Amino acid sequence: MIPNRNVHPPPVQSPRARWAVGIIGITAVVATALTVWLGLWVTPPDQSQGDLVRLVYIHPGVAWVALYLAFALAAVSSLLYLWPRTRSMFWDRLAAASVEVGVVFNVCTLISGSIWGKPTWGVWWAWDARLTSTAVLLVLFLGYLALRRVPAEPDVRAKRSAFVALFAAVDIPIVHFSVLWWRTLHQGATVLNPNLSPTIHGSMAWTLLLGFVAVTLVFVWMLLVRYRIGVLEDYLGTGELDVALRERQAEGAVTDEEEAA
Amino acid sequence: MWRDTVLVAGKDLRIEARSKVALSQVAPFGIVALVLFAFALGPDRGLMAKGAPGLFWVAVLFCTVLAVQRSVSVESADGARDGLRLSGLDPAGLFLGKSAAVAAQLVVLEAVLAGGVILLYGAKVEVPWLIVVSCLLGTVGLAATGTLYGALSAGIRVRETLLPFLLLPIAAPVLLAGTRIWQAAMAGGTASDGSPWLRLLVVFDAVYVALGIVVYGPIQESA
Amino acid sequence: MRYVVAGYVVVLSILFLYGAQLVWRRRKLTRAVARVASFGEVGAPARSDDAGGDGR
Repeated sequence: MIPNRNVHPPPVQSPRARWAVGIIGITAVVATALTVWLGLWVTPPDQSQGDLVRLVYIHPGVAWVALYLAFALAAVSSLLYLWPRTRSMFWDRLAAASVEVGVVFNVCTLISGSIWGKPTWGVWWAWDARLTSTAVLLVLFLGYLALRRVPAEPDVRAKRSAFVALFAAVDIPIVHFSVLWWRTLHQGATVLNPNLSPTIHGSMAWTLLLGFVAVTLVFVWMLLVRYRIGVLEDYLGTGELDVALRERQAEGAVTDEEEAA
Repeated sequence: MWRDTVLVAGKDLRIEARSKVALSQVAPFGIVALVLFAFALGPDRGLMAKGAPGLFWVAVLFCTVLAVQRSVSVESADGARDGLRLSGLDPAGLFLGKSAAVAAQLVVLEAVLAGGVILLYGAKVEVPWLIVVSCLLGTVGLAATGTLYGALSAGIRVRETLLPFLLLPIAAPVLLAGTRIWQAAMAGGTASDGSPWLRLLVVFDAVYVALGIVVYGPIQESA
Repeated sequence: MRYVVAGYVVVLSILFLYGAQLVWRRRKLTRAVARVASFGEVGAPARSDDAGGDGR
């Protein structure tokens, strides 16, 4: 009997985990659909911005996810991976998942922001602090993903990626402040700005909040699925070569038996 | 650590002195970049003079990438990198030494490029010491980040395409700050116009040099 | 209003397409893992401990 060299048990997801991910997914879809319905039909147009305000229900949501949630998660996970006492492939996979999903949300942020900006400022793109920092973050994220695609041992790849994430985490605040000093055009922080509470109220405020929640749920679901994909990919990375070898050896065994017959 | 720094810097600079790559290849590349920028911006001298600060720093960034690539590749032959790891050199010293060597080459390149910009674009500099200080500070930051990313991508075959993509976004603040300071120097402003940017450069340098000292060892182990 | 609809459509499409891609990848990988895991029990035929054809 050819010894089973693939000693690691396959990563089976418990039915409860699968159920949880499914529930989060469904909730995310429902919340998003609700946001779209409220945002596009139910809520009234703004006094000054008109219908454009409807984009405010999704743009800040995707922006917060991409710029803060995904980025912070990637940075903290990378740090935890690098720290010897907490080192574990869990953090590496979490960081990779965060960055990949973060890229998607980053692109959504730039596109929705650009579409909002065209009728408002008259330009598809403006070199203000927020947009530029977002673009730089996108490029840094893409660099992280490019580096991860380089073939290497899992722990070497994990360490390299973690360092890149660390350097990016350090750089983004610096980039943000330098661009801020360089130009400022963007709306001041809408939601967190206490002065702005009289402007957004009623159904619009609730839709805005729902938008945030919906987008965050979508991110969480995507993160969980992407993480699972990472687990499966890592398992296959070690197992596939063994399977290929055994399949070859099995071919040889059949031929010999046929000969003996 | 300082002894190792001097040792490594001396080694890299001696290699450069013998091979003259920075002088004979990177510097002319910088000049070529300046010429290409001139073609791109057209014959309008006013436009070129206005764009001179930014174009200078973009050319410097390109030269930085080349200088860092060179700094990494001098060790890729004959298992030199493993030799360095086993030599017992303090990794912080290794980092500082390589950064210092890159920085020294960059300073020379910047002098050449600055001369080129002033001559070719007709840029008029009112406050030269601002330029000098900003160049020195910017160089430290570029050399430090370059050496870090160089070490990170040292063992990778696609390093030539990956390193610029990784390094240049990180170096963006240096470009921003350096350009602003140069613009202030051209406008004849006082030190206060440039000082927030100088402070940014100092912070950038401090952060990445400190990071490099701490992190270079672990990076080397995984390369 | 056209801009708003365009914005919603683009963002939701991107998210939907990426989400669908994630689900598809997960399904493909799960099946591959199942194949790898079951190979140890089912695939390899029973034979003597001789290696290759040396025993013949």
